[in-house]
Amino acid sequence: MPERALFQGKIVAKFGDDINTDYIIPAYLLQEAWGKKYFAEHAFERYDPSFVSRCRANASKDSIVVAGKNFGCGSSREQAVYAIQYNDVSAVVAESFPDIFYRNCISNGFPALRVESTKDLEIGDSLLIDLQSLSVKNERSNAELRIYMTFEERATLLSGGRLGKVKERLRERLLATS
Amino acid sequence: MNSGYSNNNDGRTIVEKIVSRACGRKVSPGDVVDALPIDKLYFNEVIAPPAISNFQDDFNQVFEEAFGNIEQGLVQKKKNQKRVFDPSRVRFIPDHTVPSCSVMVSKGISLMKDFAKEHGIMMYKEGDGIEHTLVTEEGFVLPGEVVVATDSHTDTVGAVGALGFGVGTTEAEYALALGEIYDFVVPETFLFRADGTFKNGCCAKDLILYILGKMTESGCSRKVAEYTGDAIKKMDMDGRFTICNMSVEMGARSGIVNPDRVTEDFLKEVAMRHPELFSEIQDTLTKIPKISSDENASYVDELTIDVSELTPQIALPHSPANVKPASEVNDEVNVVFIGSCTNGRYNDLLQAARILKGKRIHPDVNTIVIPASRAVYNQAMSSGLLQIFAEAGANIESSNCGPCFGKHMGVLSSGDRCVSTSNRNYRGRMGSPDAKIYLASPATAAACAIEGKVTDPTKYLPS
Repeated sequence: MPERALFQGKIVAKFGDDINTDYIIPAYLLQEAWGKKYFAEHAFERYDPSFVSRCRANASKDSIVVAGKNFGCGSSREQAVYAIQYNDVSAVVAESFPDIFYRNCISNGFPALRVESTKDLEIGDSLLIDLQSLSVKNERSNAELRIYMTFEERATLLSGGRLGKVKERLRERLLATS
Repeated sequence: MNSGYSNNNDGRTIVEKIVSRACGRKVSPGDVVDALPIDKLYFNEVIAPPAISNFQDDFNQVFEEAFGNIEQGLVQKKKNQKRVFDPSRVRFIPDHTVPSCSVMVSKGISLMKDFAKEHGIMMYKEGDGIEHTLVTEEGFVLPGEVVVATDSHTDTVGAVGALGFGVGTTEAEYALALGEIYDFVVPETFLFRADGTFKNGCCAKDLILYILGKMTESGCSRKVAEYTGDAIKKMDMDGRFTICNMSVEMGARSGIVNPDRVTEDFLKEVAMRHPELFSEIQDTLTKIPKISSDENASYVDELTIDVSELTPQIALPHSPANVKPASEVNDEVNVVFIGSCTNGRYNDLLQAARILKGKRIHPDVNTIVIPASRAVYNQAMSSGLLQIFAEAGANIESSNCGPCFGKHMGVLSSGDRCVSTSNRNYRGRMGSPDAKIYLASPATAAACAIEGKVTDPTKYLPS
């Protein structure tokens, strides 16, 4: 499913640096479900226990999470992406992401957006995110932030992940080697 | 993404050489590789079940279409067409929560067994060992290979000179079908040079904790950490595994050591235990000089450490980068865990046993010892280490990840203070968010178990 290129959202959480994936979704839950939605109700349960209720209280269902440096560090668990994504969070805006979490976001067509600084973003701010022009506009302050992303990352994000491409590649491979 | 990297000479790092060989063209840091072929892929029982389930949902139709077409065009019908890119290059390893602690964990392991059987993938048994320990011990991962697995501590395999990357469920699922990862950015390399000789009581864990303290949790982000210097060259494989293992704790994409004489001896032992690997390992040994970093390779950054200055280190709650000398900390301890993919190998257990021999663990300390593999367990049994632990009053469990990630075998309560030889002490990692976790070497952990408080192990060792 192609991701939207232009959307608006409200900041429901602002975190500092080095938020690890254990904080996002504790490991004791990982083996208890194979689906994705299960993890949403446990997002940040030990780190920010009211996170889920704040997302649910946001009637527009376009929540945004903001963080400092190194958001999503630690374990490679992709369930951390599902936990955020399936709380109707439409993007995470942070100053940096470690590779594994970042790639997991892109794989799921979930916008992990790297900007220079998140200092001036506050809970409750409404952001206008444009994945074509790669900009984040804060509608409260009118300040604009540039999103740093490669061509390939943006293309994958806008295709909602790599599944379509991968299936096509598999099809070609199977026919070629038959 | 390519900033600061000098290409003024022809020297190349081991990372550049491995990636270039894998994708069949010369690449430099910052280059994007559309599809990077991988040599080896392994799954644990945490991620294999959803990956298998998604693999079936996403690709079954593609397989049916393709095989339908093939079958129509063939005189003889081919049964059981290959769906996994190359089953001989895949391993399934149930290691995190085994023996199973819940019905869902058991269901996941059953799904893996069925899938492994159907597709001809080799699957290990519960208790055979922790994935990163097993794959090197069994010679599944060899120097110069690109290795992908569903765990962030896949960097551990860098100790044998392989380039290991942790990936999520989706990338592993796609790799299972196609043997590739996509849009791979060739990482820069950060060089850590450790010179000198360790003091008594200090080891690889103290070095990597010290490095983490300097680097912070994001200091090596997106880069591969390459370790070199006299102290690394003199270090045994078990120590190198520890160091590479914790590279991800400073954000590193992976950690790696250039293979040398120590690696060669390790591989020769693997070949002797596994005659079927003899010629492959013989071949690998001849390639080793070609894959190592060139003398004039360029690095994005460097850090030099004199290990003879080091004293035993400890990471305080709640970050692996919150590091101090153990002698400066006096906190009470009531749980000690010796094991994990970081420090559950034979020499790790040996360091702990040297301290615990003939001693009794403090009455208030629940001590859990878990060898990292069945081979380590059996070796520790026959050499008497397990007896030392048992007589000291420790609980010895079969090989698995143990309490490290807070699901079983010693989940912490609020108020618990645990010294662990594992790699992460995030708040809530091992159970209650109100527990405190400290990370240290096996020697330090053993000394803490005796005293019931954080203790520098030096005083328990002959000077």
